Amino acid sequence: MAAWQAWGLLAGATGLAAYLFLLKVRPRRIRIPSLLLWGRVLDDKRELTLWERIRRAVSLVITAAIALALGLAFLRPARAAGTTETSRGRVAIVLDSSWSMLARTRGGGTRWDRAIADARRLAAGSSGGEIALATTADGLVEGPTNDLALIEAALDRLTPAGPGAAALPRIAGADSVYFITDGATARPRDETILVRSVYESAANAGITAFDIRPSIGGTTAGEAYLEIGNFGPAQTVHLTLDRGGVQVLDRRLDMGDGEILRQTVGLERGGDPSVRARIEAPGNALAIDDEAFAWFDRARPVAVTVVGQQPAWLVRLFAGNHDVNATFVSPDAYRPGKEDVVIFDRWAPKDPAERPALYFAPPADSWLLADTAVEQKPHWQTAGTHPVLRGVDPFTLTIERAHAYKSPELVPIAQSAAGTPLVYVNRAKDGPRAVVVTFGPADSNLTSVPALPVLAGNALAWLSRPLDSTARRAGLASFEESIVKLTAPGGAAVPLSRLPGETVGVLRAPGFYVAEGGGGGRTTFAVNVSDPEVSNLARTSAGAAEASTPAGGPGQRPWWLYCAVAAFVAILTEWWTWLRRITV
Amino acid sequence: MSLRFQDQFLKKLEYLQVVSRREFAGRNRADRRTPKKGRGIEFADHRQYARGDDFRHIDWKAYKRVNRLLLRLFEEEQDLPIYLILDVSGSMAEAAKFDLARQIAAALCYVGLVHLDHLTILTFSRGLAHESSPGRGTGRIFRVFDLLEKLEAAGPTDLRESLKEFASRSRPVGLTVIISDFLDPGGFEAGLKILRSIGHDVFAIHVASPADRDPGAIGDVRFVDAETGEVRDADVTPRLVAAYARAWETHATELQGFCGRYGMGYVRADTERPFEEIVLQAFRQGRFLE
Repeated sequence: MAAWQAWGLLAGATGLAAYLFLLKVRPRRIRIPSLLLWGRVLDDKRELTLWERIRRAVSLVITAAIALALGLAFLRPARAAGTTETSRGRVAIVLDSSWSMLARTRGGGTRWDRAIADARRLAAGSSGGEIALATTADGLVEGPTNDLALIEAALDRLTPAGPGAAALPRIAGADSVYFITDGATARPRDETILVRSVYESAANAGITAFDIRPSIGGTTAGEAYLEIGNFGPAQTVHLTLDRGGVQVLDRRLDMGDGEILRQTVGLERGGDPSVRARIEAPGNALAIDDEAFAWFDRARPVAVTVVGQQPAWLVRLFAGNHDVNATFVSPDAYRPGKEDVVIFDRWAPKDPAERPALYFAPPADSWLLADTAVEQKPHWQTAGTHPVLRGVDPFTLTIERAHAYKSPELVPIAQSAAGTPLVYVNRAKDGPRAVVVTFGPADSNLTSVPALPVLAGNALAWLSRPLDSTARRAGLASFEESIVKLTAPGGAAVPLSRLPGETVGVLRAPGFYVAEGGGGGRTTFAVNVSDPEVSNLARTSAGAAEASTPAGGPGQRPWWLYCAVAAFVAILTEWWTWLRRITV
Repeated sequence: MSLRFQDQFLKKLEYLQVVSRREFAGRNRADRRTPKKGRGIEFADHRQYARGDDFRHIDWKAYKRVNRLLLRLFEEEQDLPIYLILDVSGSMAEAAKFDLARQIAAALCYVGLVHLDHLTILTFSRGLAHESSPGRGTGRIFRVFDLLEKLEAAGPTDLRESLKEFASRSRPVGLTVIISDFLDPGGFEAGLKILRSIGHDVFAIHVASPADRDPGAIGDVRFVDAETGEVRDADVTPRLVAAYARAWETHATELQGFCGRYGMGYVRADTERPFEEIVLQAFRQGRFLE
C-alpha cells in the first residue's frame, strides 16, 4: 500500500470515528412520574455548557485517537514511526553484517533482527524514492530500486556474513546513507552517514583464537593454540576439544570478568586432522564464537615419489623427516600414481606430469624445452617473494651452471644477476603445479647448504597443498588466483570472484572448507570467527549521540503493537469514564 | 390490590383518633368537642333561664345559692368532617406509591369510622374526579375498601383547579387530608392556600418512592412524563443524578416548609417504609393521629 493510500485510510478511519461519535444514538426511554423536577435540573444544567463542551471535546479527541491508533496498528505506515522518516531521493541502507550482530538481545531476538526491522522501517519510509540495500560483507545486494518488494525479499534472505571490508560500501548517487550497526567493529565513515545503532550490551564468552602450529621440540607433531575470552560477569566456562570426534580435552574454567585465558594442547602425529574446540557458559549471548575449528595438515605426511638415477642426496634430505613419506624409483620404473608430489631428479618425462612435480635440472629433451643457453656461475642475488622461495637464503648457494627453458607455461620466480631463470613455476591454472629448479646437485653446492631443505620444504608444501591450511577468519576472504573451487562445510560451493591476482569469496559460516586448485590439489582449512571485537559484546564504537533504533529490550516489539495496546487502553478508559459519566 | 387489613392492625387503629388542631361543628352527635353548646357531657357554662328552656337543665343548686334560675350549658359533641382527598393523577401510577396512598386513605377512613366522624373521600387529577361518603360506623369500611380498590391513577395533575373546585361547593369546614406526591407543574401552593383560606384544617401526606428521587438511569435517556406523555432527552451523568436528588429534596423541603408556615400538617410517607410504621409512628409523630 502506498503511503498516501495509508494516510488516506487513516484520515478516513478517524473521520468515521468522529462522525459515529457525533451521531445521535436512540436513547433509552424511562417513564417518570413528572418532568417537573427534571425540567428544573436540566434547565439549570444548560448553564454549565462550558464543562459539557469540554467533556464532549475530550471524548471526541479520545475517540479519534482510538481510531487513529487502531488505523496505525493495522496499516502500519512507516511515517508513523517518527524516527524512521527518511529523506526523499535515493536512500542507501547499509547493514553491518558482522558476526556480533548475531548476539541475542534481552527482547529475545538478535541485533540482526533489530537491524532488519529498522531497515524495513527505513525502506517503508522512503516516500517512494529509490532504495539501495548493502551489507558490509556483500556490498550492494539490492537496488537502487523503488520496488519495496525487492528490498523486502532481499532483507528476508540476508544473514550476517562477517565484517567484510573496513570501508563501507559506496552507493552511487545516494542522497542519504543509513548505516545500521552495533558498533562492534569500528569503521571509518563519512560525516554524512547516518548511523543507527542496534547495540545492546550483553555478557558473552567466546573463543577468540584457535589454530594449530608446529611443535617446537617435544614429542608431538603440533599443538593447538586456544584463546578464550569471558566478556561479562565471572562464570565457569566448559571447554571441550576433540580431534576427529575423539575428545582430547575436557576442562571447566573459572573465568573472571574480562579475563582472557590461553591454552595449548599437544597433538600427536597421525590421526584425524580435524580439530574442534567448543565452549559452554551460562552468560553467553553469542553462539557463533562458541565453536572453533583447526585443520592439522601435518598429521599426515606428504607422499613423494622421487624419480632419478642418483637420488642419494634426496634420500639424505628426507631421512628422518616425518612430514615426508618418500618413495624412490628409477625413470624406467616410474609410473604416475596417487602421490602428492613427484620429484624428478635431473630427469623429466616427455609430457607434463599428471601430478604436481618438482624438477631439478631437467634434461633438454623433456617437455620443458631446454634452451641451449647456459649461464656459467650465475649469481642469485635476492630471494623472491613467491611462497616457494620464502626463507630461502641464496647467499650460501654457489651455482656453477644454470639452464634456461623455453616452455611458455613457465614463469621464473628467481633469476640470476644476468637474468637467467634459476627457479620457475608453471602458470597453467588448470594443470598440476610444477616447480623447476634450473640447477642440480651436480651444478651447485645445493646438497650442502641450508637453502635446500627450506626450498624443498616450501616447494613440497606449495605443490601438495594449493592453499595454506592456516585457519582463516569468517567473512570476506582472499585466495590465490589458482583456486578454482571452494566448498563450504555443508557441501555447497562458495561463489568466487576473480580479481586481478586473487580470488575472493565470502566465508559465511565457521567450519572446514575445502579449496581446490586448478591442478587437482585440495586443501582443507578451517574458518573461525575468533575475534575479540566480535566476542566482546559489552562495547560499541557507535556513539551515544547516534540514533538508536526504536527496538530495544521490551521495545523490540514492533511499534504498531504499542498503537494497538494504546487503542485498547483508550477504549477501556473511555468505557470506564463513560460508565461514570465523566466523559460522554 | 387488596386493602383488607389484618384484625390485629385494625385493633391498633381503633385506639387512634384523627387529631384536628381546631374544633369544627359537625352534623351529627359524636364524641368530638365542638364550639357549639348543647347536650354534651362536659359542663360548659350557665345562662339565665328563659321561657321555653328545658326544665331539666335548670341548676337548682345554683338557684338555692343565688336565688336565680340558671340553666346549665354543656359542650356539644359532634362528629368531625374529614375530607380525604387522594391524588389519582398519572404521577401516582407507580404501584408502590398508589398502593401506599390508598392504604393510608383506608387506614384514616377506618380511624374516622371508629370515631363516627363524617368522612368524605375525594379523588383528583386534573380536577375533582370522585366524591363519596361512606357513612358512619366501622361496618362501612368495606365500602371504602371497595371504592379505593377500584381507583386507577391516570391523567395530569392540577391541584389548584381541583381544590378550587372542592372549595366552590358548600360543605362543612373540617379536616382536609391531601394524599399526593405534590408533583404538580402548576405548583402546590395555590391549591393548599385555597383550602386554608376557607378555614379547613389541612394535612398534607407526601407520598414518595425511591424512583421519584433517583430514576436509576445513566447515559443518554429519553424521559417520558407519566402524566402528559411529554418527552425530554438528557445525558444523565452521576452529577446530574445528584442534582436531581437535590432538586427533589428541595421540593420536599419546600412543601414541608410551606405547610409549616401556613399551619398545615405534613407527614412524608416513603414507600420503602413499612405501611404500619407510617401509620402508627409517623402519623403520631406528626401529631396527626393520637
